[in-house]
Amino acid sequence: MSKILIVEDEQNQRELYSMVLQEEGYEVDQASNGKEAVEKVKANKYDLVVLDIRMPEMDGIEALGKILSRDKKIPIIIYTAYSNYKSNFMTWTADAYITKSSNLNELKEKIAELLAARSK
Amino acid sequence: MKRRVPIFILFFGAEIFLILAAFYLIIYFKNLPEIHTYVALFLGIYLFVRALVFIIIHSKTFTKINYILSIINDFKKGKFIAHHNNNHSNNSLSLIIKELSVMGRNLDSVLNSQKSEISKLRELYQNIVLSISSFFIVLNEKGDIIFANESFCKKFQFDLEDIIGKKIDSIFIFVTPTIKESIKSVLTKKEPIIIEKTHLLSSTSIAIVADIKISSMIVEGETQVILIIDDITAICKKDFQMNLISQVSETIQRDDEIESVLHAILIGVTSGSGLGFNRAMLFLIDNKEKKLVGKMAVGPDTMEEAIQIWSSVSACGIDIYSQLKSYQEKNHEKSNFINLVLNTSFSLKDTTNIFVQACHNQEYIHVYDAYNDPRISEEIRDFMGVKEFVVIPLISMNKSIGVIVADNKFNQAPIGQDSIDLLSIFAFQAALLIESYNNLHIIKKEMEKIQEKQEALIESEKLAAVGRIAAHIAHEIRNPLVTMGGYARRIIQLAKDTKEIIKNQDHIIKSASVVLKESERLEKTLSNVMDFSRTSSFIMEFNNINEIVLDTFELLKNLFQERRINCKLNLSEELPLVKSDFNQMKQVMLNLIQNAIDATPPQGEICISTKSNGQNVYISVKDTGIGIPPEDLNKIFEPFYSTKVTGVGLGLSIIKKIINDHNGDIAVTSSKEEGTEFVVKLPLPK
Repeated sequence: MSKILIVEDEQNQRELYSMVLQEEGYEVDQASNGKEAVEKVKANKYDLVVLDIRMPEMDGIEALGKILSRDKKIPIIIYTAYSNYKSNFMTWTADAYITKSSNLNELKEKIAELLAARSK
Repeated sequence: MKRRVPIFILFFGAEIFLILAAFYLIIYFKNLPEIHTYVALFLGIYLFVRALVFIIIHSKTFTKINYILSIINDFKKGKFIAHHNNNHSNNSLSLIIKELSVMGRNLDSVLNSQKSEISKLRELYQNIVLSISSFFIVLNEKGDIIFANESFCKKFQFDLEDIIGKKIDSIFIFVTPTIKESIKSVLTKKEPIIIEKTHLLSSTSIAIVADIKISSMIVEGETQVILIIDDITAICKKDFQMNLISQVSETIQRDDEIESVLHAILIGVTSGSGLGFNRAMLFLIDNKEKKLVGKMAVGPDTMEEAIQIWSSVSACGIDIYSQLKSYQEKNHEKSNFINLVLNTSFSLKDTTNIFVQACHNQEYIHVYDAYNDPRISEEIRDFMGVKEFVVIPLISMNKSIGVIVADNKFNQAPIGQDSIDLLSIFAFQAALLIESYNNLHIIKKEMEKIQEKQEALIESEKLAAVGRIAAHIAHEIRNPLVTMGGYARRIIQLAKDTKEIIKNQDHIIKSASVVLKESERLEKTLSNVMDFSRTSSFIMEFNNINEIVLDTFELLKNLFQERRINCKLNLSEELPLVKSDFNQMKQVMLNLIQNAIDATPPQGEICISTKSNGQNVYISVKDTGIGIPPEDLNKIFEPFYSTKVTGVGLGLSIIKKIINDHNGDIAVTSSKEEGTEFVVKLPLPK
């Protein structure tokens, strides 16, 4: 069973994603900011990270760098309400950049796609 | 004289002998011998001679007595010097004559010296009287004129004989109540009174402004009143000219209505001692209509009104402003004269019109006899209704802008060249004033336009400040929307499974409440933003400044995160409420915090704090930016000052304005090392 880390400061969103992804059959861990995410990545092994960008304490961009410096191969999906971070080259190092939507299908499809590619 | 006595005795003896001889002859007359006849004849002859001598001697004495009598007569007549025919005879009469003539000479010399003394004095007094340029008249107790000096008669063109015995009412067209009362008072109290700056208008149409000194004197038991009239017209004129222009220009600066300006100018023309015309009219060229249009008129309607004005207004006082005031009070009932002028206009093409001619030729026209002057059209004749008048063009920058027309309709005084010269100078100044007024007016209008634009700019700048955070606000909206949508989908999904619906009930309710909560958050965010679009009205309420700070901070939270700036809030928990406009204050906070964010590098810190000392509430926004150069510190509140690439530099001037509207203050301290701190001070109600 693939293990996914959801990094999101909005509690309601975080819970929604984890519910939906659990229903999809994934094991889901939650982190409310970048700092927490980096710690969790250090402590656990995740198959995929869904990462919000704008968060208190440590934002997604910084967290992204730290996570990748530790594990270059871990797939990371940036999932943010802001489309303008696409111009930030740091985000290019992520495997996907998805703008938040109430429809989670795109996210689910991207997760499935990335996990399939990884298992090959 | 002693020698005479023996002669006198000799004569006396001879005479006695002769008388005795005569007796002898008479006694012996009848038989006189021939010798006796000769003796008698000799004696007769002697007696005859003696009688002759006697007569001669005594006739001399008579002459002397007569001479003395004539001298006494002369004395009686006041003639003290006799003709010098004293014949040095040695008798007492001659002595008397001699004495008399000596006395006469003495008397004469005394008298002569007195005479010359008197004539000297007379000459002195005459010179004094003549050298007084004042006019004076003397009235008896009944008020009849009993004397007027030469200069009075000359000035007012009277013959002395014509005015003696007349009352002053009949030689002056009007005598103010002040003068009448003063004469009465002087008669009773015997104390002199001075009436200053009074109009006098004689029945011969001579108008002056005068100081009148009224005093009394008693001549042969009768009280007489002396009126000394000092003509101060010239002085007043000078005074008047000195401050007329400045007064008019002051009026122009004070008033924004052209009417007041024009009125001020015409008051200058008619004001008693100034130019002293009875009526003045102003026509200005209307370039669009190609007409000379009546703009303003000053002057009485009737003789009665004229007299009323002259007797009420102090002649030298030309306080135009107070005259203007009374004009404005009276203005609602415009006189016929003003209405006539205001309703009159002449086509500029009508070159037979003398007003238009004056405009075209840029030269004044003095009409002496309008009724017989071929230049005057019937229209003008009717319009003016006066024999003599003067038309002066108003020239500014070599261009006629109108005319001033002035006349002396009421006192019929002839218009002198000096008046015209003065009016020309005045017209020149007036033209400049009108031109500058017009220019001022244009500038004012332009300023108003700019002001409007500036206000619009400020309004748009306020919105622009919101606009700059619009992207962040959009995300502020996007996040809750995404959450709401997500949970709504979930609810639908859960509800689809009808079998599991009971089991999922809790789940559904929980999801719905998330939707609700998020929508509430969204509403709050929206109203937070909407606050900025409602800026026009000003509502002063008691607000908690902390709430305003927090609201604004909420809006900018995303921006802080994006710029990775740490924001420290240090809000006093016991902050008194401040009477303020919530939205305006939010605008202040938004601009201040945005500025702080813009000035602060990533990882920097902004500290927002509030505190109160019981009198004021202080809001401080302190950044850790690069600071403002000292030389720019006093410029930052000026509009359009900006160091940023974006924005027009109105942010701080908007803040300043809002703070001023709150009777507050804003101070700034800045240094390169410590960044910038803005402190807003808002007063608490006392």
